[in-house]
Amino acid sequence: MQNESRVDPKIIEEILKFSKNVINAPKLVAAPDEIVLEVTPHDTVQRMDKTRLIHYRSLTEKQHRTPLLISYALINRYHILDIQPEKSWVRNLLQQGFDVYMLDWGTPTSMDKYLDFDDYVNGYLDSYIEYIKNESSNEKITLQGYCTGATIATAYTSLHPESVKNYIATAPVIDGWRDTTVISNLAKHMDVDKMVEIIGNMPPEFMYYCFSVLKPFEQGIEKYVKFFKNIDNKKFVDNFLRVEKWLGDTPPIPGELFKQWIKDIYQDNSLIQNKMYIEGQKIDLKKIDMPVFTQVAVGDHLVSPECSMPLHYAIGSEDKTLRMYPTGHVGMIASSLSQKKVLPELGQWLAERS
Amino acid sequence: MHSEQTKDKAESIKEISDQYKHLSLFWTDIMHLMASKPQALTSIGPMRAFAANSKKISTELIEINEDLMEFNKYVTQYYKQLAEAWGIAQKKVNLKAPEVPQDIEQVEAFKRIWIDIFDNDFTELFDSEKFGENYGKLVSKELELTKHWNNITNVILQSVNLPSKEEIDEVYKEIHSLKKRVGKLELELKKKEMSKNAK
Repeated sequence: MQNESRVDPKIIEEILKFSKNVINAPKLVAAPDEIVLEVTPHDTVQRMDKTRLIHYRSLTEKQHRTPLLISYALINRYHILDIQPEKSWVRNLLQQGFDVYMLDWGTPTSMDKYLDFDDYVNGYLDSYIEYIKNESSNEKITLQGYCTGATIATAYTSLHPESVKNYIATAPVIDGWRDTTVISNLAKHMDVDKMVEIIGNMPPEFMYYCFSVLKPFEQGIEKYVKFFKNIDNKKFVDNFLRVEKWLGDTPPIPGELFKQWIKDIYQDNSLIQNKMYIEGQKIDLKKIDMPVFTQVAVGDHLVSPECSMPLHYAIGSEDKTLRMYPTGHVGMIASSLSQKKVLPELGQWLAERS
Repeated sequence: MHSEQTKDKAESIKEISDQYKHLSLFWTDIMHLMASKPQALTSIGPMRAFAANSKKISTELIEINEDLMEFNKYVTQYYKQLAEAWGIAQKKVNLKAPEVPQDIEQVEAFKRIWIDIFDNDFTELFDSEKFGENYGKLVSKELELTKHWNNITNVILQSVNLPSKEEIDEVYKEIHSLKKRVGKLELELKKKEMSKNAK
């Protein structure tokens, strides 16, 4: 009987410490609302509808000649690429001497439900690229696409190869039928016509639900336990809250754009088969003939490597590189691995071509 | 035998629902016709417009009821799938870690086993055809319920001479199309200016 009721005093101690941490948390850390996610100094240089073009201020005396524009994903916001100084994708590129622009897709409202791929590819992206070309007196720029932003950038690069000197595809969403993630399974069974007809834009709450089913227990329970356990660790807590704030802030996706994306990528898989059309123009991946650098994360549970890698084999470029990293979707762009391995490799490749 | 009984029951519910729908529509129509003459005296007031469209509200409410039955079917299936996955995962945890953790290291190890097994099993469920299919139908029914609610709201909006959702959508579509045309015209103009300057 005595054995059954014996509990390690360390367990009680841990429980008491954890409870104390939960109580003390509001005194020790800022509320997510109070955290400003924009880290590196920048200027808004152009605006179109709800989108804007950000230009980061240079951190080096000398810069490479070809400017770089990042086409961020449609889900969540660009802040993850500049989440904190020591993990900032943008800052690292600036320190390597690149001239960096970022496309902020903004927050679409009900009025924007008819915005489609044509508006994003031949409208916003094309206009901003023209602006950068004029400002920098370059005929071509380097374009980087991340996640769904890479789907848009890939379409742009195929339609306007004359404007793109180098193309960087980071975890691109390309081959929906090969994608092995939960997102792809949900997308395949979605009545997207009905969804867009009735609710218009894809609501952020729905997107958030789709992400919450990915590793539900690790992400839904364990990470918060870790947060409270490490409440005294300023660096850990700051990083945690920044990423959490970024995760919780996802804008709606314009209805027509969402419809075409789900149909052409996940349901019909048109892009990789060169059967996708934007306003009557065929997206032919063979027309992507400039130097291309594709980055894939082996542990990506949002865009599986099988979904991204086919781009490397489908394009017409002769100068093409495929790199795989032992990390996840976010780890590839905002981690110590990205700072130590991913960005130096990218910087070296890009410097040779800029 | 059991499936035949279920089918019979579903058909009988459908018949009752149809009868109720017919009865409701019959009386709202008759009452509307009987009352339309005195109502015409106040033809510009909100009640006239509301009364003229009130039949639409009863139709929508009946259809909501039908769709709710379908929605309940899929939502029950959704939670059944979750509950089954939970049960199977818990059994796996019990097999792998049968002892009650005694110290802090064992608690940590137990927690790791629990999270890994639950994450794997639930990811397997969310990735399965049966889950995707049922979830798609569940969302689709939810959308139909939203559509009925939109239609009811439209009746109220029209009774106070405000545009319906479809009319607002038409405006949005028109604005979008105009913006696109203006953008293309501006681009053409820019190209012409550039070639003129080049000459």
